[in-house]
Amino acid sequence: MKRILKITTTADRLLFLFLIIASVSGIFISRDALSQASEVSVEINGKQAYALSLDTDRTVALPGPYGNTVVEIRKRRVRVKEAHCPNLICVKQGWISRGVIVCLPNRIVVTVGGGRPPKNIDAITG
Amino acid sequence: MIAMNKNRTVLLLFLICGLSLASSCSRGSMSTYKKTKPLMDTVVSITVVSGSGAAADQAIDRAFAAIDRFGSLIDFFSDKSELTLINRNAGIKPTVVSPDTADVIEKAVSVSKRSWGAFDATIGPVSRLWDFHEKIRPDDGAIKKYLPLVGYRDIIIDRQKSTVFLRKKGMLMDLGGIAKGYAADLAVDSLRQAGIAAGIVAVAGDIRTFGTKPDGEAWNIGIKNPRQKGESDDVLAEIRLSGKAVSTAGDYERFFIEKGRRYHHLLDPKTGYPAEGCRSVTVIADRGVYSDAFSTAVFILGPEKGMSLLREAGMEGVIVDNNGTIRPTPGLKGRLKIEKNS
Repeated sequence: MKRILKITTTADRLLFLFLIIASVSGIFISRDALSQASEVSVEINGKQAYALSLDTDRTVALPGPYGNTVVEIRKRRVRVKEAHCPNLICVKQGWISRGVIVCLPNRIVVTVGGGRPPKNIDAITG
Repeated sequence: MIAMNKNRTVLLLFLICGLSLASSCSRGSMSTYKKTKPLMDTVVSITVVSGSGAAADQAIDRAFAAIDRFGSLIDFFSDKSELTLINRNAGIKPTVVSPDTADVIEKAVSVSKRSWGAFDATIGPVSRLWDFHEKIRPDDGAIKKYLPLVGYRDIIIDRQKSTVFLRKKGMLMDLGGIAKGYAADLAVDSLRQAGIAAGIVAVAGDIRTFGTKPDGEAWNIGIKNPRQKGESDDVLAEIRLSGKAVSTAGDYERFFIEKGRRYHHLLDPKTGYPAEGCRSVTVIADRGVYSDAFSTAVFILGPEKGMSLLREAGMEGVIVDNNGTIRPTPGLKGRLKIEKNS
């Protein structure tokens, strides 16, 4: 250690320190960018009704104008298991591990992982 | 002399460290805030860049209210909307409407003219014969009977009196092909008035971007794969946009398949039947009202004529034809990142 201190200048040491800080912050930045979806947000009529963990399997019944809509979380995936709306588009969508399921007649929006599409895409047209 | 150089190096390193810290601090002060709400019979998502969560929340709620207000004016299915009044008064008398209703109809007519009638908001009498959910295909006779009621030239707008009149009795105007893009524009105007300098408004697939992300990058927009099979192939291509609107018209939104043929909701106003030739059309324009209406128009025209329209209108776009070939306009070459798994 003493030998290292002897052969390096203050500038060298500061440079090492800067490089270490840059590497450590790089780990945090990439971890944030690559993080997996972990939260399920359930909104009814634009207001958040539940914020649930994707890691805990459970079933939640949500009241609406067409009766109860049943949302199921299992094995880190989410689906609308049961609904009584006219089209049942939400049920037909099946399991998702990221993205949004919407039941317009019941005004329910289920979002997994902030609804952010994969690969750092900010929005999808189509 | 050596000591002086050493001091300079130390100073330089301190400056580098200081600058990187300062830049990370400035990035940290601005964040993105997103809210989603069901409006206009679809899902509306608004993302804004702001230094304050409370200010972002308030601005987004105001933008949602602007969309909701407009949506209630042009709701095809509501008894109380201005659009319903216009349709009820068809062939009878002009209807007094609010400036936004007159404006969106005026823009619909202008797109009809520019697209050689491929986009036509008076498709209502024919489109209501189809039921894509119940898989109902009207018979040829019914389509023939109602087709003469389709014609944008019979929309009479008087901006002085703020009235709209459909000349023939039985005409029906449906603004479904333009209203979501217009709503995205209204929301962006509202956000800007609230002091928001950057964000995205997505009224379903009609997206308007403004400003840049907190890191200074343009917004990354995915184009939906029209033949998506699973969760991993939902995006066909990506494009970076700032200050632009983008919309996609696709044959996968509302459709049914009968005897191997796909019947979808994008009806050709000249025939009354689904337009053939494209799977999806994505259009980039300065405003959502134009990206929305032109995406439908280009889809109706098909790949060749559609490409000509984009060229004449000075817009960029991507056409996915019936063979799945991705055809970008020349201006998008090199800017479009096509996904491998699509």
